[in-house]
Amino acid sequence: MKEVMLDCFGEACPIPLVKAQNKMKEMDIGDILIVSIDHSCAMKNLPDWARGEGHNVEVEETGDGEWEVVIEKVK
Amino acid sequence: MSETQAGSSIRRSSSSRAGSARKPKPNQLPFAILVLLLLIAAGIALQAFGFGTGWYLVTGLIFGYILQRSRFCFTASMRDPYLTGSTLLTRAVLAALAFTTIGFAAIKYGYFKAGLPIPGMDYVVPVSFATVFGAFIFGIGMVIAGGCGSGTLMRVGEGFYMQMLSLLFFIVGSFWGAHDFGWWKETVINKGFEVFLPDVFGWFGAVVIQLVVILLIYIAAEKYHEAKASADAH
Repeated sequence: MKEVMLDCFGEACPIPLVKAQNKMKEMDIGDILIVSIDHSCAMKNLPDWARGEGHNVEVEETGDGEWEVVIEKVK
Repeated sequence: MSETQAGSSIRRSSSSRAGSARKPKPNQLPFAILVLLLLIAAGIALQAFGFGTGWYLVTGLIFGYILQRSRFCFTASMRDPYLTGSTLLTRAVLAALAFTTIGFAAIKYGYFKAGLPIPGMDYVVPVSFATVFGAFIFGIGMVIAGGCGSGTLMRVGEGFYMQMLSLLFFIVGSFWGAHDFGWWKETVINKGFEVFLPDVFGWFGAVVIQLVVILLIYIAAEKYHEAKASADAH
């Protein structure tokens, strides 16, 4: 199991989502992707997409207007 | 929100979690009170100008608040069906259109019944090639800029610096558009045709037809969503 950090600070929606989608393709089951974002729109669509795909998702607010979306690849 | 709680179901190494320790937050309450007082003062000052400008500020603030809290995004409503196969926001926009159809029809019909001039008829403008072309380039622009008009304003207000750039060129583009609008209107827009649905189908017919069309698009969007989701699962 490995952890992948993805820095998407300063990137507008949908760039964080596309980057996360591409990263997830390279990852193995059980790996965890941590996406750092500061765009509120991505805070909505990134978890929505990942949950829709069936992955485990958590959102943590790490600062004012900064979030980490933690995605565990389950399939 | 429950998912922001510390009780984590995903096991993360402590090294990555330590890096994400919460930064100390300054107390925002004094700023909130200050901004509120400034807004009330601005509202009163604007109202003194006449034209009900103060009320525009109030409705604008309410609209902005709802937009920000609900994470409503017109860009995503058009973009996500292609990108993620999700039509959640598309359907939210369709629902909003259905509600406003009923509301605006009621207001306009009220004026029509009373024999008064119908408000908002300035917005019944010809449909032309400019509509199609303009919508196409606006669509490209809003996806690159990460927001449509209202979305960009809302995110600048949230403090997302990158979109300050979008706002700057949004203003430049608006001025340019306003500058050339006369030419467009004369050579392209006025060659189109003008439709006010109640003139064609009657008031009741227009509302019913519009709602049926919205409903059909809504059903199509839902079917598309399901089809995309099951296609991804296999």
